[in-house]
Amino acid sequence: MSRLEAKKPPLFTSKPLTRDAVSQSLSLLSGVLKSSYGPAGRLKQLHNGVGGCVCATSQSSALLGHLSVSQPVLRVLTASVRNHVSRFSDCGLFTAILCCGFIENFRSLNVAPFTVIQISKHLLSLCMDHLKSEACGCRVSVDFSSLETLVCLVRSILTSKPACMLNKTEVDHLTSLVLKAFVFTVPCHVETNAVLGKCVVIPVKGRRVVDSAVLPGLLIEVPEIQLGKPLPVKRTGSNVIKIALFSVSMSGDGSNPEEGTIVVHHGVSLEVSELNQLLSMGQQLVKDEVGLVLCQKVMHPSLKQYLKENGVVAVDRAGLSLMEPLRRVTGSQPIASIHSLSPGCYGSLKDLCIESFASKHFLHLIPEDTVICSLILCNRSETAWDELKRVCETAEHVLQLTVKEPLALLGGGCTETHLASYIRHKSSSLPASTFKDLGCSQTQYQLVADGFCRSLETVARSLSHDGEEVLTDMVYGHCWLVPSEIGRKLRRKPCSSGQRSGEMSPPLCDGEDPAVLGASPRVLAGREVPGARPCSAAAPGGTHRELCPSGCARHQDLSPVSCLPQGKCSGEVLARKTKSSSD
Amino acid sequence: MAFRDVNARRHIGLQQLSTLASTGRTFLGPMKSHKFIVDEITNQSTLICSAVRLIESLDLTSAVGQLLNETIQAQNKEFKTGMSTLLFLVGAWSNAVVECLQQNIPVPAIVSVMSEGLNSCCGRVQCLQIPIHDVKKELCSSRVRPKALESKTGQVGRHDLKNSWNLLCFQTDISATEEVIPINSCSHQGHDCNFNKFLVSPLAGFGSVASVVKAVGDKSSPTLSGSGVTAPSCIAQKLTHSRHFSTLGKSPFASQQGNFQGHLSGPAADLCGLGRLAVALSHGNQTSVKLLQSIAAYQQGRAECSGSSQVNLAEIVTCSVLGLPESYSCVSPGFVTLVSPEQATVIKHFADKPLRILLVDGDLTEEYRHLGFNRPPNVRTILEHPNPQGGGAGDAWPSRMSDVLMSFEVNLVLVKGNVCKNFMERCLASRILVIGCVARAVLCAFGSATGAQAVTYLSQLNTSCIGNRAWAELWKTGDGRAVDLGERLPARISAGGIPLLTAVLTTALPSKAQLLEDQFWTLLYRLHHALKDGKVFPGGGAVELLCLSHIQALAEQPERPGNAKELPSPWLAGCKSIVLQALASGWKRYLCVLLCNTATVSSELEAGAAVDHHLQKAAACGSPSAYILEEFRRGGVLRGGSEPFPGRVTDLKVCDNVVAKTEAWRRALDLVLLVLQTDAEIITGPRRNQILNSPVSSEFMFL
Repeated sequence: MSRLEAKKPPLFTSKPLTRDAVSQSLSLLSGVLKSSYGPAGRLKQLHNGVGGCVCATSQSSALLGHLSVSQPVLRVLTASVRNHVSRFSDCGLFTAILCCGFIENFRSLNVAPFTVIQISKHLLSLCMDHLKSEACGCRVSVDFSSLETLVCLVRSILTSKPACMLNKTEVDHLTSLVLKAFVFTVPCHVETNAVLGKCVVIPVKGRRVVDSAVLPGLLIEVPEIQLGKPLPVKRTGSNVIKIALFSVSMSGDGSNPEEGTIVVHHGVSLEVSELNQLLSMGQQLVKDEVGLVLCQKVMHPSLKQYLKENGVVAVDRAGLSLMEPLRRVTGSQPIASIHSLSPGCYGSLKDLCIESFASKHFLHLIPEDTVICSLILCNRSETAWDELKRVCETAEHVLQLTVKEPLALLGGGCTETHLASYIRHKSSSLPASTFKDLGCSQTQYQLVADGFCRSLETVARSLSHDGEEVLTDMVYGHCWLVPSEIGRKLRRKPCSSGQRSGEMSPPLCDGEDPAVLGASPRVLAGREVPGARPCSAAAPGGTHRELCPSGCARHQDLSPVSCLPQGKCSGEVLARKTKSSSD
Repeated sequence: MAFRDVNARRHIGLQQLSTLASTGRTFLGPMKSHKFIVDEITNQSTLICSAVRLIESLDLTSAVGQLLNETIQAQNKEFKTGMSTLLFLVGAWSNAVVECLQQNIPVPAIVSVMSEGLNSCCGRVQCLQIPIHDVKKELCSSRVRPKALESKTGQVGRHDLKNSWNLLCFQTDISATEEVIPINSCSHQGHDCNFNKFLVSPLAGFGSVASVVKAVGDKSSPTLSGSGVTAPSCIAQKLTHSRHFSTLGKSPFASQQGNFQGHLSGPAADLCGLGRLAVALSHGNQTSVKLLQSIAAYQQGRAECSGSSQVNLAEIVTCSVLGLPESYSCVSPGFVTLVSPEQATVIKHFADKPLRILLVDGDLTEEYRHLGFNRPPNVRTILEHPNPQGGGAGDAWPSRMSDVLMSFEVNLVLVKGNVCKNFMERCLASRILVIGCVARAVLCAFGSATGAQAVTYLSQLNTSCIGNRAWAELWKTGDGRAVDLGERLPARISAGGIPLLTAVLTTALPSKAQLLEDQFWTLLYRLHHALKDGKVFPGGGAVELLCLSHIQALAEQPERPGNAKELPSPWLAGCKSIVLQALASGWKRYLCVLLCNTATVSSELEAGAAVDHHLQKAAACGSPSAYILEEFRRGGVLRGGSEPFPGRVTDLKVCDNVVAKTEAWRRALDLVLLVLQTDAEIITGPRRNQILNSPVSSEFMFL
């Protein structure tokens, strides 16, 4: 019996958030995330420092996936953000920045944590109710009968990550491809339980982005040597191609990962018996008029040769990620054993042909009616391709989520600013009974609400990376980024037209007393902000004009920063965030 | 996990980029300086002459270095040309961007103005594109007479006529080119005469050889005369020289020959154009041009029906033969590879026999299993009745396998991977030729030509896998000599109707072998892409000059006031102008270094003045593109004033690939902008202590 070393005594740390190490790490992490946020966000080069591949990215999924965080508190944070991203693909940085903002703002308040949780839950419910109400000014309904909003939605997602290295033409091309792919994934015949399909991304690296294309059906890469020039494909009596899809390895190694030892007599070859088993199954497949055999893993060369000689196309190494799309395209059941074949497991295809892109050859599986399509995605470099792939997948996912709830939120920091000003306004006029229910004083409520609003505004302010000033309209809650030179000029000179009796100021500037800032709503005077940053230069995404509801027509002259519609998931975002900060 | 701020003072990443890129300056232009790369530990050195090889040999552990390497490799993989341009522009633009940053121009403004500026340039230079068709026609215009002659010739006596035609070409070409490409050293002369003799002699009788040589010799001024040699002569020589193509009696190959020859006289004009296109794209590399002309002629002969005028890259392989002078380089139909003396003996025994061929797409060793086969770890074999006579199991496999080969009467085995030594010896003893490490493209070509089906294991063998009518011989040089270089001998393996061509690259200098191969592929890819694009750019700095003038015009253009979408304030308009100037400065530096490298000017200052002079002339002309095209037609855009015959229309024109060039620009700018937008480097993985102890630890923060 071995001796066990005694465990170290448990170490308790009270109030971990107040520790120096935690706050340092937290501010570093939030700095990394904030600097990556938005279409002008800065990239991070992730690498292992010993010559491994370099990933230049500003995406939360790539950033958080590579970071190894030592502080348990931060680990909770990053884990919950990654969880959010895995569900919604979008708004990872938003979630993370907001989360860091909540922690930083609530930590310094002299209010009991439980009270903070109660109050922030209440604030969250205020936000949710407002976002759900028809009156909400930062909500845009997505009209699926016209392309305009959809194009804007996709475009703003594509342009939100500069590491994709796209120019305008390329953004337009990809936008139309992503939308086309999305349309392919919508089933033609709507039943009660319609299920959206999937768009499979096929990598073609080193090519121009404009060489990308979308095809219905599925493409599987095949090495050239396997295929003769005219594709010999066997059809059944009903003129369809019968498919067998194997998820089990057919390499003939009899993979037995179980423990224990097999004892074999000299002269008996396991390999030969395994191969015979495979070949007899091959005979069965030929007898069943199968025209195409697909295998997730490796096929034994002898089996491939046998099938080829009998006019059956055999493709192996399809990979796990293609199995589900393959199953849906062909309608076959993946076969998990090489010992038995049931006739019900075969699927069928309408046609099969060979496509070539760049120097790659693909087998194109064309089904009768499909919700699966293939996006052949090209980009010049490996790094930019990886980023682009994640962005395109996000765009597809967001479109699918928007089908469920056809609403989008204004981007460019407008939603956050709008919500913050709404909360400020609302929290000052709450009835006393609310405070009683929450078990707090009005001052406490004001403090927490203020922290809450500042966290929201931090997110909006994170969009500025080059010293631009953030100008906010406190009535409608919209915001603009203007170059600092112009901002300074505006601040010096009171606004020209005094009709709306207001002063122009960058209300989100650091250092101003937030309580004062929130107290009196300021109106943006004048119809034009000279030099408000145009979308083309800073944020080539959709303009506000495209997404601004007709109610605020005056913003059309102002051409504020791009809108980054956040799909439907923003409600969820807020919910998650508050939870992880207060839990 | 460590975290480093890139933007601490000046942009470190951009500085790194510019430093790395500055090493490749001398590779710009046709006059490249070679470099020795010396390994300080092993003291081994290599000779390089391209950006790719340079980047390969640099220490690139930094993140920026990795990204640069990735960019260069991507361009190389796709185009095999434009890497030097890319590397240079990366350096020039990163310097220019650093200067913009120092003037406090916001990063997004730099990114958007630069990328739109490049976009606008790529659109602007489209007017300079010359359709391939025009290039061929224009370059061929001096050939009307010989072509007319050729078209009138009947089957009889074609050889004689062709002969005189060749002579004619020679003379016109030499006179046309002699003053354009002066040669620096006289030592090349003997070389080139030799080459001409080699090219022409097979067609001509003895008398005319003498006359050709004399014709060349008479031109006492040293010339690089190869540029005008036309493709038909090369190919015809190749074919008439091969014993398989020369004797019409040999049935399997006779039809092939007829086909081929019949084609040669037909599209002679086209071929001549293609040859000239290759010369224009070669940027002065003579040897590769000749190889390329042969390849183009051969492949066009095959593709006569399909109508595709492209060069099929998949059907070309190279073989480097060390020990012969470079003038022996040529293109051979089939597969040329180096074999051992034992294998050569077997080949000699084959004589003219048609061979039964087997293709193996794995290793030929006992232990080899196909990829994805996992040996079960938990199998134990027991031996119940030990057999005292049972020899070593290692012996049994080679003999069993060679028995399999013999039973199918296989003579020739091409293996993709390695071959077990014992097995190889056993096969050679039974006169079966086994060749290992054969490229996949070669296996495919033999598969389609002989009907052989590649197998992975010899146990898969059945009669349908085996191909027929391949043959093997020892490779001979163009003048019919067998080559005996001691340890490794070149052998040629072929089959009737095989599409495969081998470019045999000979060199006496082992250190140049890699270089020659790179040059050959570069030129082949250039021709391939030129045909694929269907158009070329005028070379010699023409396109860059137009970009420069276009950008300067854009920078000086006043902002249209009515356009609210454009940058409205004077401050931002100023930004735009500065950034555009930065973009232009990249091309200007490029042109200056190009002029310096070609030694037409003595200093970079002088080069700058020359570029400015041309810019002014272009602007004064009203239409810069028309000016540039006209200058190109006169023989080159950035010519100095000190030419021997200014104003004379010369024959030498340099062309560049359209897509390869614009892609190189785009990739260079993308890389610079990617690095520009980076503000931090994050080092992942468990190297915390190593970084903490390193001298730069203060630059890092830890999460």
